[in-house]
Amino acid sequence: MSAIPVPRLALPRAGIFRRFASQEALLALAVIGLAIAVGFVNPRFLAYRNLADILLGNAYIAIAAIGMSMVIISGNIDISVGALIGVLATVSGSLAVAGAPTLVAWIVPVVLGVLVMAAQGAVVAYLRIPAIVVTLGMMSILKGGLISVTGGKWITDLPQGFHLADLNLLGVPMPVAIMVVATALAALWMRYSASGRAIYATGGNAEAARLCGVNPQRTVVMVFALHGFFAGIATLVYATQLRVIQSTTPPGLELTVITAAVVGGVSILGGVGTVVGATLAAILIAEITSALVFVNISPYWTDSLRGGLILATVIADIVRRRRRASRGRRI
Amino acid sequence: MSAAATVPLLEVKGLEKSFPGVRALSGVSFDVRPGEVHALLGENGAGKSTLIKIVSGVYQPDAGEILIDGRAMRFAAPEDARRAGVATIYQELLLFPELTVAENIFLGHAPRASGGRIDWRAMTAKAEALLASLDIDDLAADQVVGSLSVGHRQRVEILRALSHDARILIMDEPTAALTEADVTRLFAIVRRLKERGVGIVYISHRLDELFQIADRVTVLRDGAWVGARDMADTNAAELVQMMVGRRIDNLFPKIAAPIGAPVLQARGLVRNPTTRDVSLEVRAGEIVGLAGLVGSGRSELAQVLFGITPAERGEIRLDGQAVRIDSPERARAGGIAYVPEDRGAQGLVRAMSVLHNFSLAALGGLSRLGFIDRAAERRMAEAGVLRFGVKTSSVDELAGRLSGGNQQKIVLGKWLANNPKLLILDEPTRGIDVGAKAEIHRLMCELAGEGVAILMISSELPEVLGMSDRVLVMREGRLVAEFDRAHATSQAVGAAMMGGDDPMERAA
Amino acid sequence: MSVFAASPGRRVPKWLARHETLLAIILVAALAGLGAFNNRFLTVDNLLNQGRLMTEIGLIALPMTFVIITGGIDLSVGAIVGLSAVMLGYSWKTFGFPLPLAIAFALAVGGLAGFVNGFVITRVKVPPLIMTIATLALYRGLAEGVSQARSVRGYPEWFYGLGQGEWLGVPTQLLLLVVLIVIAGVALDRTTFGRTLYAIGSNETAARFSALDVDRTKVVIYTLSGLASGLAAVVLVSRVTTTRMDMGMGYELDVIAAVVLGGTSIFGGAGTIWGTVIGLVMIQLLKNGLALTGVKGDATIVVIGVALIMSTLIASSLQRRRE
Repeated sequence: MSAIPVPRLALPRAGIFRRFASQEALLALAVIGLAIAVGFVNPRFLAYRNLADILLGNAYIAIAAIGMSMVIISGNIDISVGALIGVLATVSGSLAVAGAPTLVAWIVPVVLGVLVMAAQGAVVAYLRIPAIVVTLGMMSILKGGLISVTGGKWITDLPQGFHLADLNLLGVPMPVAIMVVATALAALWMRYSASGRAIYATGGNAEAARLCGVNPQRTVVMVFALHGFFAGIATLVYATQLRVIQSTTPPGLELTVITAAVVGGVSILGGVGTVVGATLAAILIAEITSALVFVNISPYWTDSLRGGLILATVIADIVRRRRRASRGRRI
Repeated sequence: MSAAATVPLLEVKGLEKSFPGVRALSGVSFDVRPGEVHALLGENGAGKSTLIKIVSGVYQPDAGEILIDGRAMRFAAPEDARRAGVATIYQELLLFPELTVAENIFLGHAPRASGGRIDWRAMTAKAEALLASLDIDDLAADQVVGSLSVGHRQRVEILRALSHDARILIMDEPTAALTEADVTRLFAIVRRLKERGVGIVYISHRLDELFQIADRVTVLRDGAWVGARDMADTNAAELVQMMVGRRIDNLFPKIAAPIGAPVLQARGLVRNPTTRDVSLEVRAGEIVGLAGLVGSGRSELAQVLFGITPAERGEIRLDGQAVRIDSPERARAGGIAYVPEDRGAQGLVRAMSVLHNFSLAALGGLSRLGFIDRAAERRMAEAGVLRFGVKTSSVDELAGRLSGGNQQKIVLGKWLANNPKLLILDEPTRGIDVGAKAEIHRLMCELAGEGVAILMISSELPEVLGMSDRVLVMREGRLVAEFDRAHATSQAVGAAMMGGDDPMERAA
Repeated sequence: MSVFAASPGRRVPKWLARHETLLAIILVAALAGLGAFNNRFLTVDNLLNQGRLMTEIGLIALPMTFVIITGGIDLSVGAIVGLSAVMLGYSWKTFGFPLPLAIAFALAVGGLAGFVNGFVITRVKVPPLIMTIATLALYRGLAEGVSQARSVRGYPEWFYGLGQGEWLGVPTQLLLLVVLIVIAGVALDRTTFGRTLYAIGSNETAARFSALDVDRTKVVIYTLSGLASGLAAVVLVSRVTTTRMDMGMGYELDVIAAVVLGGTSIFGGAGTIWGTVIGLVMIQLLKNGLALTGVKGDATIVVIGVALIMSTLIASSLQRRRE
């Protein structure tokens, strides 16, 4: 019986503190630390305008990362989200230009996002096709479909009222306001609602979830639908910032979103993670990209940094998990 | 028992269950009264887990009845059993590390506030009430389960069962992973549950525990009911006899083979935490039986010898030469063959043909420069099918379609193709029919006669006693006793398996 | 597991025979249909040219078949094509390597990139999907960083022989592909290496318990995948005469689609090189046929996406029915 002694943690209580003592705190520190460090090298980095640009220009990534986090926590993956956002932006812009009421131009992409993603979720959950195959296929359908339908035409002359992102909410620019509200709502929902907790249960141990009366299949469909919802919201923030919508998909967007979710502490093996971390990670990645410019490193290195970051996080996560597993292993 | 007069909480009668190729349960009956701990005893494969899965609604029986409070029930799904008040605590705890204690307890049936939101305050309060009801004061409702020790996690599982108002609690080897202190606390909780009139089905291989906690015991063997006893009226020796049985009639008579030089000599093998300082020797032509209760580290020792989990310390000599076995490839190169315990998961590639399974471990010898000599491969497989009497339409049949006994012959045959010096057999006849069993025993004798050294792990004492030239007994990762054929009686070996603190005395 | 674990035996399981026959019939029908629709389609010139165009995907699809048979996946192949292409141009132009050395360097970089995938997958036990998504970002990023998004052109004339030349009227790279198809087919069908792949994909534990070297085999196939991507990069640069960092973008889709369409199970344990070749040809002819009938290039990737999902669906529903 003399098992390996289990070191008891000094923080036996869960509470807010312990939750934030982890990845989120680390990320917040990194966001602030990086800003200060880059500020030393180049004070202009800390200019309000620049910091605001970082937040405004990348809020949509953070919003999309919320849904991606849910998908990954549930034990799946989605690589079609970049293409979907491209399609939804085009739909939204086209509606606006065609004279549809602004509200319609805003709501239709959200509804469409939910439908497309829910359909993918259903194929994954009920037909048991790996998410990677479904979403890889969907990515090409959306990407190819978009360009062949629009011919890559730019959408210009967007009506004045269309630009949701230009508005302010209580003095806060809309993209940031939406990002904060969406993150907060999603975090609370995941933490406090039964269906939110079911996501963790499904990703952590689908078999156990089933025995506890959680329906893993329904949960997966719900997760994808929500992911589609957030992709729709992200599209609104993204598209209504633009004066011209290019009807193409933003290249590599799905990777940025996945990176944000993973670096934010979502374990790629499912079952662990929070959306707050994902949002912070999205900000950090945007900050790194911007910082490169200010410290005179070619922005062309951004993608490899992003790749390195995701790789390091994944490896660290797996090593950490294995250590924890071997600690708890029965003799 | 005071409860003897009352209607049993749970009663099963004449349960039957078969899986393809295996008869898991035949005619098993069993009951639990309020406030009683009823132990289920039996070796691996005896049918305990099938029985509890039927009672908890995971499997449906082919025949037989389940009665709750004297009323016949049908459990189509685990939810049905739970609704009827049956809760099961599995060996692998089914908890969610990221969620809190309270959440884990109430997952799926959390108290709701208006609008379907989880009522966190009510949930925490209820969780704390449950904790208090079992006098658990070192566990808080808002702790994250991932940070808890195994003992605490198990308490959470028990609380989860109680939150469903379970009246029948099935505990599958609840002490397997616990420290002594945790075991004591678990027993305190079990006694408290008894006072409340909960009926408990308790599965454990540790006989001394049963004498501490159980009121009655039912013994299963090979899916059949062997007997039931009041704990007060039995002793460990009797229970071991019931568990391992006496079915000498099934056995192929052992043929004595000349015993030669040592093939395997192992000194001080350590692989934490399951293999602790093991030294043993197996000689050419000798069949050494390795006995021990489940969890004593027998299969783990086999996997150390075969390089799957290489030894951390110690020395292995093959034919007197010191060798380093740090991978199965090395083991095979050294002339070791291992027929693993779990045929489906470890031994056989079910989706491959008989032909390809036969050659899988011998591809090196069948190929030149990496190219498989397919004619030779086919000859080998066809010869193997004949030699081992594998019943199959052709060698191109998928291995997964054959019966258990025939699958086992393939796994055995694929290793014999390498002409091993040392053959390690892990439960070679578990779950196969009598005819196939006798054939495998005949084969073992034949191989020993050819000078192969055989190390056989078996949970069936008659098999061990009948086939072995020498019997080693393992307990808690160590070899604790050795008997030569003349002295290996079921009483002596059984006593060594159970260990030092004499449960017979306590029972008396 | 599946019944169509088509480890190649003398008597091929019926299901697989049917699957490949079915594919071949569809292929012939598609050829006839497209030929009837457009008289430029069924010409020797056009078909050979299509062979030239499909070579890069084909080269990568061979080791991808191995990878998917083991139950793994490699999403980083397109990024490795980009990285190798950049390394070819960069080492030639900036380091001043002689071109043959630069080619060897590009291949080595591809092989190394694949080795890193295999090493981390087997040692750290990162799931292949995640590992190769991460390195997809990393390798593409390195290609971008090293090249600073500048293209390289002006290679010596002899180099274009590989991508644009022909031998006995057949495109050079198509000959290369055919040779490699035969080698890969034989390796999968006749060698212990191939048998090991099927065993890993069907039951990795049993493969390990049968003393097969599971980890080394996996490292080898991911390295081969990288190496083939490097080779595809060289062929691609030679064909289009310039090096750009975005080369090979999206190749993973075409490659995986070809392999899965060819009957290799995404769940592992089953598949053949022959199937992959048919899948590859179908995808290329589909692209070409659609292009000739006036459908724009981008629409063809829609068709590939649909084909990928549908073929997986059909395969998995067939598999479930067998169980």
